[in-house]
Amino acid sequence: MSSSLIHRPAVALRGFHDEGHGFDMFGLHPPTLRRSLALGGPLCDRYFRTRSYGIEHVPRDGAAILVANHGGALPVDGTLLVLDVDRKTGRIVRPIADRFVPALPLVSTWFARTGAVVGTHANVSRLLARGELIAIWPEGAAGIAKPARDRYQMKTWQVGHAELAIRYRAPIVPVAIVGAEEAWPVLGRIRGFRRFGVPFLPVPFLPVPLPLRHAIYYGAPIALHDELPPDAADDPGVVARAAARVRLALSELLHDARNSRAGRWL
Amino acid sequence: MNVLVTGATTPLGRALVEHLLALRDVGHVLAVGAEHWGPGLPSDGTRFSYEQVDLTRGRSVHDLLYGPARTCGIDTVLHGVLHRAVRDQGERIHAINVEATRLLVQACVRHPDIRRFVLRSGGEVYAIRSDEPNLLDEDRPLAFDAGAPQWLRDRVEADLTTCAQIGTAGPAIAVLRCAEILARGTGSQLWDYLGSRVCLRPLGFDPMINVLSIDDAVAAAVAALSCDARGAFNIPGFDTLPLSQLIARSGRHDVPVPGPLLAPLYRLRTRTVGFEFRYDLNVRRFHVGALLDGGRARAVLGYQPRHPIAFPSHAALAA
Repeated sequence: MSSSLIHRPAVALRGFHDEGHGFDMFGLHPPTLRRSLALGGPLCDRYFRTRSYGIEHVPRDGAAILVANHGGALPVDGTLLVLDVDRKTGRIVRPIADRFVPALPLVSTWFARTGAVVGTHANVSRLLARGELIAIWPEGAAGIAKPARDRYQMKTWQVGHAELAIRYRAPIVPVAIVGAEEAWPVLGRIRGFRRFGVPFLPVPFLPVPLPLRHAIYYGAPIALHDELPPDAADDPGVVARAAARVRLALSELLHDARNSRAGRWL
Repeated sequence: MNVLVTGATTPLGRALVEHLLALRDVGHVLAVGAEHWGPGLPSDGTRFSYEQVDLTRGRSVHDLLYGPARTCGIDTVLHGVLHRAVRDQGERIHAINVEATRLLVQACVRHPDIRRFVLRSGGEVYAIRSDEPNLLDEDRPLAFDAGAPQWLRDRVEADLTTCAQIGTAGPAIAVLRCAEILARGTGSQLWDYLGSRVCLRPLGFDPMINVLSIDDAVAAAVAALSCDARGAFNIPGFDTLPLSQLIARSGRHDVPVPGPLLAPLYRLRTRTVGFEFRYDLNVRRFHVGALLDGGRARAVLGYQPRHPIAFPSHAALAA
């Protein structure tokens, strides 16, 4: 199956806000996204044999936040998620990248052209205010390059997604991605690269990820805004509890997803 | 509304004077410049007059405001004087950029008839960092870098000097932090950058750039002059595009070069050819896209960029 973006002109893309020269203000360029997704298609279908379940939980329009687990030496899980949502819903996902990404040559430009946005409060607020679909990995950079013994364990958990969901009345869709945390085992991290813009360099066990079967499970949306007024986003206690609720929902979804997986290899 | 416009001999000043004179609710425009006369300005008449004034002298500023300005019934001031050449520095330049602003805004605060003061500042006053938002609102940190060129330090100081008066009694003060105007004679660093047939760009980086047309800058100034809103307002332009596209649309050759080589190459170019573009002034925005968030100007001033820039042609850039 090919990406739906391949067959749609840029002007017709839902959620694309052209600033007049074919780019949005964050640098998204639909033709580049289209090419990237076309390249990622075989990786998704043939190498990782990705399947997804519960796509009906992803809103077809309006602001929404996909909250997923993170793993692997490089963020392959993000690519699979963007591709799957595009194919199934036609929506552009705006992955939220860590703050060190803009300092990286080539990567920063490619991320921007394919829709990624640096995870500052102002940037994410702007996306939600104009009704875009964003994807957040609350484990942050710590989720990347987890040791194999910590796979599918969310040890760090930032709370910004809950605050934004309450303030901008956006549902949170937990997304369990199974496979990514095992496909590319990491031996360790080399630190001391902060002056070059990155917190660490992952040391993968293999030069390429293993061809494990991947699965994406979309959970039922959590509508924090149905229970909490926008002002509740200013209360750290409320936000922390809301974030813990999202984490619990994702943990349960991840647990069920791993149990229902047919097999890693076949 | 009777308006005093400083920096009237610049391309923006001339366009603003022309636009103000076309408005029915503008009674008189008093244009002020350092030169004897500005080419392109209308001749003195019932609705327009020109004064040559050295704004760096307190006595001259006082005499302007209590002499010709009072005679013309001036109640609104737009200050748009900033020295444009980057390579010029020293006390005289500091006086033009900062002391003139300080003298004028303080004199206006004390003046009984002035009810509105607007400063045209620039988006370059913001500090740009890779971990800051792509969109800079008015609350973002300013560029307090002691090692920055005087061109930048003066602009930050002039901006803050005016902002410090915003809460005081007296005229309603607004500071317009405009995106870069891509036009000749405006002091645009990008214009000079594009003046070369080959534009060197940091390899691996292609940040988003926003540029402002003179028409939109005039529209923002008129919107600010016509209301009493206080505070700082970002004024973005209509065109937002990657640096590589800006180079291509201007008919130049885009050559990516490893970042560490760019500063010495452009220093060499400045020394040999004498261009105004300084890479050290632009290094951060050539790596990290930082655009002005015009939300406050849209909500409070009703300003919305509507006029695309005319991309400079070979001939225009070469000239």
